[in-house]
Amino acid sequence: MKQFLKRLLSSQLAGFIGFLFIWQILHLLLKTHTIPSPLETLAYFVSVPLVLLKHTGASVLRVSAAVGISLVLGIPAGLLLGVNKTCKRLFSPLLYFIYPIPKIAFLPVFMLLFGLGNPSKIMLILFIIVFQIMLSMRDGVSQIDPVYFKVMDSFCVSQRQQYRYLIFPAVLPYLFSGLRISIGISLASLFFAENYATQFGIGYYILSAWTKMNYVEMFSGILALGFVGILLFYLLDRLERLCVPWQKQNARN
Amino acid sequence: MECCNAKQTHVKLDHVSFSFGDSVVIRDISIDLLRDSTYALIGKSGIGKSTLLNLIAGFLKPDLGGVTIDGKTVTGPRKETSFLFQELGLFPWQTVFQAISMPLKMRIGSKDHSAQVMSLLTELHLEPHKDKYPHQLSGGEKQRVALARTLICDPDLLLMDEPTSALDAMTKEELQTLILRQRQLRGATLLFVTHDIEEAVLLGQTILILSEDGTLTAQENPCFAIQNPREDISFYNECIRIRKLLRLEAS
Repeated sequence: MKQFLKRLLSSQLAGFIGFLFIWQILHLLLKTHTIPSPLETLAYFVSVPLVLLKHTGASVLRVSAAVGISLVLGIPAGLLLGVNKTCKRLFSPLLYFIYPIPKIAFLPVFMLLFGLGNPSKIMLILFIIVFQIMLSMRDGVSQIDPVYFKVMDSFCVSQRQQYRYLIFPAVLPYLFSGLRISIGISLASLFFAENYATQFGIGYYILSAWTKMNYVEMFSGILALGFVGILLFYLLDRLERLCVPWQKQNARN
Repeated sequence: MECCNAKQTHVKLDHVSFSFGDSVVIRDISIDLLRDSTYALIGKSGIGKSTLLNLIAGFLKPDLGGVTIDGKTVTGPRKETSFLFQELGLFPWQTVFQAISMPLKMRIGSKDHSAQVMSLLTELHLEPHKDKYPHQLSGGEKQRVALARTLICDPDLLLMDEPTSALDAMTKEELQTLILRQRQLRGATLLFVTHDIEEAVLLGQTILILSEDGTLTAQENPCFAIQNPREDISFYNECIRIRKLLRLEAS
């Protein structure tokens, strides 16, 4: 028994079981339909796997598209802000101005410009996360030790070589940090992006259950969203370990 | 000031002056550094030794006068000059092998240079560490990697900014022997900055003393050619002589 408890506490499952335990206590204490029992929710969750898969699949596709486009736009823009002092001086205040504004406020504009379909949903998520990517890149460049640039100068390198051997590898850890935050924010913003003109998406699923006051269904949707988060972060961690091996070893040391 | 006439002038500083704002760091320095010779540059901290090295490397431009290497005015870093930085500047994302092969890839662009890199790794006793990242190396190993990175392209001018600082006595001795052997093997002109008078007398054919007023004086080192200098009393006498000169310049 002691051995089992020790193994349980050291495993990654311990946190999740603890969360379910607190949830159960809240359910018992508050005695309201708004907080259903975790066991009931889990039972419902496993009873509708295809429905949840369909909704989460639609959401993952939207998030992936938004993250992909924000990387394509955010990486070069952020690098430019980091490398070019004039660009940094001109655009950093603008970035600071836009960054804290709740982007959901622009939803009517996106609807008007991109319609009610997927493009406006993807654009909303993109608009929320692209600034995070840009800032991560810009800060990554500014954190590069000036002596590294001097080393590159001493080798008489071209600008292309400077990016290839210095700037890209130096900003990679910052990109992964930015990406981790962006994925978290984009999953959270699904709730807004999928609350109109769609019948697919985990955000829509949660909202629809909420309006129907079906809290078991709502919480199973929340659970599904959480599991998507776990999966995406796990994949990102694996990718980071592959692309930034020196960082992990450094952290372990 | 001419050091000797047997060798050809490699680096020429012609009335070079440099200041940071109002503070004059280098004042009207003229000196010829001869090909295949070694020069130790000493002086008090913050006096401008590294600035002089940076002027020769082309990282800084003199306010007055000029630096020429092989008769050509230095306007920026040149491919044949290698610089060993005090901070080393080893990239955390490069293994030892990648760090040493990087200059070859960038300068020569040759595709397969692993044999050349491996040979240097063996020479510098770095072969067992070739797949390690900088944070996995000791101070002395890092210093040797940085040295290997400066040597790999066979430079004709080696500039080193405190190459053995922050090392323990034994590792320092090992690295000094290595620097001396590699310089002899490759026949490059070596100019290095040091705070250590023993190191200056051990490695420098000529010892350059930079004074607080920004001027430079050269001292021939009679102990340079002797075998096992650390076991010879004349080596320590020379260290005492240089120390006295340094004190005199400082006062």
